[in-house]
Amino acid sequence: MRKKESDDKKTMGALARRRKNMPYYFLLPVLLPLVLLFGYPLIKSCIIAFQNYKLGNSNIYFNDFENFRKLFEDRDFPLILKNSLVYVTGSVAGQFLLGLGLALALRKKFPGRGLYQSIVFLPWAFSAFVVGLLFRWSFNGEYGVVNDLLLKLNIVEKGPAWLGTPGLSLLVVTIAMIWTGIPFFGIMILAALQSIPNDVFEAADIDGCGIFRKFFSITVPYIKPTIIITILLRTIWIFNSFDLIVIMTEGGPANYSQTLPSYIYTKAFSAYDFGLAGAFGLMLMIILGMYAVLFLKISRYEEAGDF
Amino acid sequence: MRKKRVTALMLTAVLALAAVGCGSENNNAAGEGGSNAAQSGPETADSDVEQSGEAEVTLRFLDVSPSETRQKYYEEIFVKFEEETGISVVYESVPWDDAANKITVLGASDQLPDVLTTHSGWLGQLTNSEWIIPLTDYLGESTEDYTVAVNKLFWQSEKDRFGDIYTIPDGMMVKGIFVRKDWCEELGIELDPAKGWTYDEYFEVVEKLTDVEKKHYGVSYRGARGAFDPLMTYLQNYTGGNTYDSEGNILIKSDECREAFQKWTGLYLNGYAPEDSINWGFTEMVDNFVGGLTGTLMNDSEVAPTCMENMEDGQWMVMPVPKSEKDGKLYNLINGSYSLSISSDSKNPDAAWQLIEFLTRTDNSSNYCRLSGLIPIKKDAAEDELYGEGGPYYTFTMQLNDPDLVVPATIGAFDYTDMHQGMMHEEIQKYLLGDIDADTALNTIADELESRMKDYIKEHPDTSVENALVMQ
Amino acid sequence: MTRTASKRIETVVRVVVLTFYGLLVVLPVYWMVITSFKTNPEIVNTQHITYFPETVTLENYQSLFRMLSYSTYLKNSIIVTLVTAVVIVFLSILGGYGLARFKFRGKGGVLIFFMLTQMIPCILVIIPLYIVFSKMGLINTRMALFIYYVITNCPFCVVTMRSFFERIPYELEEAAYVDGCGRLETLWRVVLPVMFSGIVAVFVFAFIGAWNELIAGTIFLNTPDMWTIPVGLKSLIGKYSVQWGALMAGGVLALLPTAIMFMFVQRYVVEGMTAGAVKG
Repeated sequence: MRKKESDDKKTMGALARRRKNMPYYFLLPVLLPLVLLFGYPLIKSCIIAFQNYKLGNSNIYFNDFENFRKLFEDRDFPLILKNSLVYVTGSVAGQFLLGLGLALALRKKFPGRGLYQSIVFLPWAFSAFVVGLLFRWSFNGEYGVVNDLLLKLNIVEKGPAWLGTPGLSLLVVTIAMIWTGIPFFGIMILAALQSIPNDVFEAADIDGCGIFRKFFSITVPYIKPTIIITILLRTIWIFNSFDLIVIMTEGGPANYSQTLPSYIYTKAFSAYDFGLAGAFGLMLMIILGMYAVLFLKISRYEEAGDF
Repeated sequence: MRKKRVTALMLTAVLALAAVGCGSENNNAAGEGGSNAAQSGPETADSDVEQSGEAEVTLRFLDVSPSETRQKYYEEIFVKFEEETGISVVYESVPWDDAANKITVLGASDQLPDVLTTHSGWLGQLTNSEWIIPLTDYLGESTEDYTVAVNKLFWQSEKDRFGDIYTIPDGMMVKGIFVRKDWCEELGIELDPAKGWTYDEYFEVVEKLTDVEKKHYGVSYRGARGAFDPLMTYLQNYTGGNTYDSEGNILIKSDECREAFQKWTGLYLNGYAPEDSINWGFTEMVDNFVGGLTGTLMNDSEVAPTCMENMEDGQWMVMPVPKSEKDGKLYNLINGSYSLSISSDSKNPDAAWQLIEFLTRTDNSSNYCRLSGLIPIKKDAAEDELYGEGGPYYTFTMQLNDPDLVVPATIGAFDYTDMHQGMMHEEIQKYLLGDIDADTALNTIADELESRMKDYIKEHPDTSVENALVMQ
Repeated sequence: MTRTASKRIETVVRVVVLTFYGLLVVLPVYWMVITSFKTNPEIVNTQHITYFPETVTLENYQSLFRMLSYSTYLKNSIIVTLVTAVVIVFLSILGGYGLARFKFRGKGGVLIFFMLTQMIPCILVIIPLYIVFSKMGLINTRMALFIYYVITNCPFCVVTMRSFFERIPYELEEAAYVDGCGRLETLWRVVLPVMFSGIVAVFVFAFIGAWNELIAGTIFLNTPDMWTIPVGLKSLIGKYSVQWGALMAGGVLALLPTAIMFMFVQRYVVEGMTAGAVKG
């Protein structure tokens, strides 16, 4: 298997040398629009991060590090940073563990698996807007179905005001985020699991390996690259997503469920201060970039920059 | 070689098809957009075709609070407008939640529609960035056709703050307190709108109505965005309705005001409001009153149609806003709901004014006010039975005629949208959650307001600090 | 003996686990569906929660069609989403193939750039784009949404497609070259047919990404006749009331097309991803 690939690469190398421009023909239709339409906003936000850029403001100039000073002086900045970390770690960990469980359960064929899969993968197809509303409605402190069930099952005596209590509101948003993200992890890990050749397991069976042994010495190494890439991607996506938060809590109460991107969103629009929003955005990109590099280093994933 | 070319051709064709498919859809859509404003009117369709001759004027109109009723109303009235003037109007809308954001984006890219509906809280931003134009000249003598309230309160306040009239109210909003009549009757609480009440009496009713066992709470407490607005009015009960003194020093930091602040937030802290309500905005307050969770709701007359639609007649009534414990005055905010304005991006401001004139013509505006639960803006429309004694809006019109009525000064002419979306309710929330004490919460907000006000006075030395307004 | 026993335990565990995941999805969906069939007073009744509608009503669905031009939104959503997904599939075949089969200068840079595009907060993309679009007269057109959806969903799809190509043995292509076929023809005739499921997977990724997008929709579109489903649904949250029944009905209807699509294609998605799974 490995040998074949390296053979492939040799032939490819030869071909590539012969047709130097060929790859660009293929990539140009993709890259050109992307570079233009992403490049402009990217550069623009880096620039405005150092300007007093407000919408509707005609006198725009560079104000050194004023935006960053404001950012670090923001009293809620540490809280928001903490929220972001808790939210992202909680969501990714939850999605990963539950997605892994789902994938493991789905690995072997069983009657009706097709139908079952189309049901359990459904949350992926939900829009954040509908999920947000559904969860906000269900976790309503006074007449939400969650509190009603908890009361009926005698788990609590008085249902908490989920979305109105610090800590809990972030928890509910995290739960909603986990819920929508399980299928993506499930599909990715399931696909990786199914690409493990069956004879490997058979050999292990013959050697008398137990379930756990099989899991840790065969399954994990096989699916590790998928897991790494999926975790990296999801982390970036979740870190960057704010629609659930805006729909469910608007960051409330008192910023206890506010995260960096949702704060950027409110900052950009409530103060029209796009300079400050740009500074926050730059901050976010730096954090994510550092995370990506570190994560790939630590997980010893060779193809850095690949996803 | 030939084969290669064929494939290349095929691929180009696919790409082109995709592009054309998208493009042509767009063209259609643009056409639809134009005629959409008046789907029912054949005239519109015709005029769209006839666009060759004289310069055809098409106006864009932005509705910031779309609903089934409003869209239908506007589409019908735009057809009528076109019949009379030949000017066609495209109805654009943006969900209320996103309206402020959307206007920002539109304004920053010079894309504002000709006529836009606005909310009084946005005026600071809209006028500062010169996104809307003054209407004083257009109005001319016609101001006399408008009610005293419009002239003496609404426009006076705009003139005080921005030096000009920028918007025409679509209707007047007066605040009142919606009360669960049936709950009060059950508990033997007697309320008489004509007699009115004071804040302490009101707080007492709230307390009595609360019965957590039965899931009855006394008040729809506003904890999230906008939480400061009703609280500010209450604080102004102790400042004679003013916000700043003549030098721009804020008045709400007194001991009296701090006590008032604690009394108001006590509604939440003492459990007269659901715990959830710390996150409530406008929608939730109304929704939960209508849904039967809360017993009182301080809000605008605009909410009355929602109550009429969703509640039984005997279930609700409207009380006036309570009078001050300090001086017996009735401090009540009087405002337009979605006032009409002309954007500076408009290429046809005259046609836009024609549209506003048409929309505010007595017959049209009366229809509109009835539909939206607003008090009429024209003198000759005010004699409707709806607004008279026994009518559902009597409590509101009655307050307008109350000799004790004082309309408190606003927060200021400077742009404070960011505070409104953030600090103002966040500081109060932190206090409600026990993170900071009442002094800190109130002072943080007050200090920020004061520093902005002083900056504003520095930048605009010729402005005078606005005072509370009275009609008499 | 022990083997059958452990097999049995395994089966039991799996049934329990599968039921857990089933309920995890079914319960919220059930709640949404039954809420959409309740009358409004029953929904907002704060004293008493019903787990099955006391009176089953279609009024929410009817009002959805009556008061919102739901069919218009549906049409808009379908057009924008389909065109987006098709174009993305096309672009990611080209880009994926280019990345998989060639070594060239700047390849690492391209991949890093793709990664960067995923890190920039969307609001910082939307606003500058809005200004560009408004200069090009693209505001309030489906084209604006289409462009935005293509560029935001493309990077992931290209890279996914690339891993599919990498799994296909190069010998397959070589045979075609020997027969005198050109690159594109080989790609079209030989390579694409064997990666059908991968293409379906990418299509689904792009479709879902575009179908559910809300924020760009509210910012780029002005008139109700251009709104997509999420934007239209958002307008049900009024200033004074949330129409939960109609919202839930709208949620059900928005979900329906994707749910039906899932039924038919989920097999290919998993299959496709399996074929493209990152090598271990």
